[in-house]
Amino acid sequence: MSESAIITTNNVNLWYHEKQALQSVSIKIPRNRVTALIGPSGCGKSTLLRCFNRLNDLIDHVKCTGEITLDDENIYAPSTDVVTLRKKVGMVFQKPNPFPKSIYENVAYGPRVHGIRDKAELDRIVEQSLRHAAIWDEVKERLNDSALGLSGGQQQRLCIARTLAVEPEVILMDEPCSALDPIATAKIENLIERLKEDYTVIIVTHNMQQAARVSDYTGFMYLGRLIECGKTGQIFEHPKEELTENYITGRFG
Amino acid sequence: MKFTKKTDGVFTASKGTARLSVLKEQSVKTVFFFAAFFAVIVVSFILLFLLRDGYPIFVQVGLPNFLLGPDWAPTAVVPLYGIFPLIVGTLLVTIGAMVFAVPLSIGCAIYLSELASPRTKKCLKPAVELLAGIPSVVYGFFGLIVLTDFIRVSFDIPTGETWLAASLLLGVMALPTIISVSEDAISSVPHEYKEGSLAIGATRWQTISRVLVPAALSGIAAAVILGIGRVVGETMAVLMVAGNAAITPDPIWNILSPLRTLTATLGIEMGEVSVGSEHYSALFGIAVILLIITLIINLSAVAILRHLKEGRTKGPAPKLLVSSATKESLARFFEVIGIAVLLVFLLAAAPWWLAAFVLLIPGAWYFGRDRLSQKHIQTIAFCLVGLATVIVLAILVIILQDIVVHGLPALSWEFLTQPPKDLGRAGGIFPAIIGTLYLVMGAIAIALPLGMGAAIYLVEYTREGRITRLIRTSVDLLNGTPSIVFGLFGFAFIVLYLNVGVSLLAGQVTLALMVLPTMIRTTEESLKNIPQSLREGSLALGATQWQTISRVVIPPAVPGIVTGAILSIGRAAGETAPIMFTAVIFSSRFLPDSVFQPVMALPYHLFILATNVPGSSTNKYGTALVLLLLVIGFYSVAIFVRTHFQNKARG
Repeated sequence: MSESAIITTNNVNLWYHEKQALQSVSIKIPRNRVTALIGPSGCGKSTLLRCFNRLNDLIDHVKCTGEITLDDENIYAPSTDVVTLRKKVGMVFQKPNPFPKSIYENVAYGPRVHGIRDKAELDRIVEQSLRHAAIWDEVKERLNDSALGLSGGQQQRLCIARTLAVEPEVILMDEPCSALDPIATAKIENLIERLKEDYTVIIVTHNMQQAARVSDYTGFMYLGRLIECGKTGQIFEHPKEELTENYITGRFG
Repeated sequence: MKFTKKTDGVFTASKGTARLSVLKEQSVKTVFFFAAFFAVIVVSFILLFLLRDGYPIFVQVGLPNFLLGPDWAPTAVVPLYGIFPLIVGTLLVTIGAMVFAVPLSIGCAIYLSELASPRTKKCLKPAVELLAGIPSVVYGFFGLIVLTDFIRVSFDIPTGETWLAASLLLGVMALPTIISVSEDAISSVPHEYKEGSLAIGATRWQTISRVLVPAALSGIAAAVILGIGRVVGETMAVLMVAGNAAITPDPIWNILSPLRTLTATLGIEMGEVSVGSEHYSALFGIAVILLIITLIINLSAVAILRHLKEGRTKGPAPKLLVSSATKESLARFFEVIGIAVLLVFLLAAAPWWLAAFVLLIPGAWYFGRDRLSQKHIQTIAFCLVGLATVIVLAILVIILQDIVVHGLPALSWEFLTQPPKDLGRAGGIFPAIIGTLYLVMGAIAIALPLGMGAAIYLVEYTREGRITRLIRTSVDLLNGTPSIVFGLFGFAFIVLYLNVGVSLLAGQVTLALMVLPTMIRTTEESLKNIPQSLREGSLALGATQWQTISRVVIPPAVPGIVTGAILSIGRAAGETAPIMFTAVIFSSRFLPDSVFQPVMALPYHLFILATNVPGSSTNKYGTALVLLLLVIGFYSVAIFVRTHFQNKARG
């Protein structure tokens, strides 16, 4: 990969209890591109994703070795502040998880916890984030309604807006469309397309067509290993590894 | 019934036996229905009898005069029956207790649910449950001996029996309720919220204070309301430490003034009043008012919790109750009120150095918070939360340590096996121990079948409908009824109306009514935990409903039911108020020959020793220790049974 990398992992191993979930994974994530991680269930792609913002820290008995750098800083160094890290690396979850607050409060939550109190500034950020997440027109009349009243697809875009409001550099998406219908999925995919102008997006997906549609680069993982990684076109048309080819052509998985 | 009908004719079973089994099913169902309906009957009887005996005073004095009359002087030459000072007393004690208990409990709940490691949590939760298990008369005893003395010395006043003492003590008693219900509420906030907030880069404290606690707010509110219910209905402890002068404090914020609550009035005067007099009627009038207040409090908490539970299981999103703008202005409003109240208290009642200290903290917070990084704020917040937990634990340790250290020397073979001598100053407490055991065994023998029957009917035989709702509400009402009201009801209905007299039997029945809701609920809970597939499997084999229930559903539910029974026993053993007028006498050299004779009981014995018998110091502590050990013993067995079978069930 010739482009400049924003995240680089070097020989990352991870264990849940005794079970090894990641085995010496080394990958470079290029800046301002969409990188998809594909692979069969349990291959460790979500685990890898959650390494990037250290959300695995929340789980007990997780051991992680190796090096992951963001902008050339090791995010697993003892001096790393996870709060700052997570501000830089946002995340959208598999199941939409808006807070039980109003739409406005959901988006304003991030800026607020990072110290923005000015009402006008908050209004601006909220509107901009909602616009950016392509949901503004649907909710602008009812910003003070509960976010839990939105449909699944709207909730997911709200969660993206919530992530954008913090102005991260990287957005992690953990199967963001798996709980959505095709129309909502199409909206999110269009959104991802536009997001890469300003952000680096890493998306975990089960759906190979989706990976082919939205991503510039694709990494294929299998049983905790990164088997192959490269330009999406190349991975899907001329995979170097036999495992990759088998998976993509649907021979297993 | 369908199942037996279907087998009709298909199998060779004769029509006679089929009809017999249908009949049997019907009668079993009817029996359970009556067990369940019993709760409704009890509630209506309580209301009926309190109103019957309280009604004359409402007619005589008039409801407005009764409620708002400024003087309570029932034994004056011209008796005055105004309960306004008593209502104010109850209100003030409650407010004081909440000011003390709410911050501590919420801090402790946050620590337990979010900060404590699983192992710490495993140690701390039983400690909190222990705090809940201490009988109220033991709290009162501790308050009378230690707390009031501490207040008397540190504020240099003639007596420590004050509003402050009552509020502190009742605050401690409300702690376990508020802690466990709010801990539950915070823990059950969906994990996704937490992840979502942390993923944005909020600190742990920001996540707790801005996402978890707000999401758990209605649960916490219900916890506080339940705590208030506990405080308002408490009799023995408040009676022993509040000073009981029927006055409104002057000035109103004077926390060192004695005062008297509604419950204490009943506890003090009920024993000395002549039946049928105006005064007697006035006491029942108080009971009616008290019952109404506590019922409103408890039903609102139950309603909130039930609403929450349904919202969580049924899926569709609950609408925000109030818009965020109103919420904010409301919060601002309460903030201002809170600060104003705090200021008044500080300037009027506290020593200046305390006032300065307390004022300094919010001041420093207000000016410092913009200068502090989120990290420092988090450190400070975690320290405060940890501090709250430490204080709660320290309270428990202080109480236990005091009673164990002073009580142990009194324990001897003689103390446990001899009747009391010299008004309890010497001799032992054997009749009291046996009396308490008799009372408790009788109560459980009555409550267990009734409670099980009711629970089986509610879970197995009916769909949710108007009747189950009526039954459930009655159970909630019973659960919220203050124990002293049970005492009055037992006295009016069993002792007088049924002419049973002050006796073991009257006490057993009264206690049984009191623990009935606990019995019903725990049984219901354990029946609900039995998977539906078991029932279907049994019914599919052609078993009747009763066969299914008795052979498939009940056996695995037994540990839960036993736990409920033991918890009820513990509760019944520690209660004083319900038996005070129905079953006990202070001194008896002999054990009762029949259930129609009065008995001695440990809690009442302790109450009288502590309040009426000077110079019985060792025996007082000895009695307190024995009572404490007895009750805690029951609770530990219950907790052991629960965890033991939980582990077994998990394999």
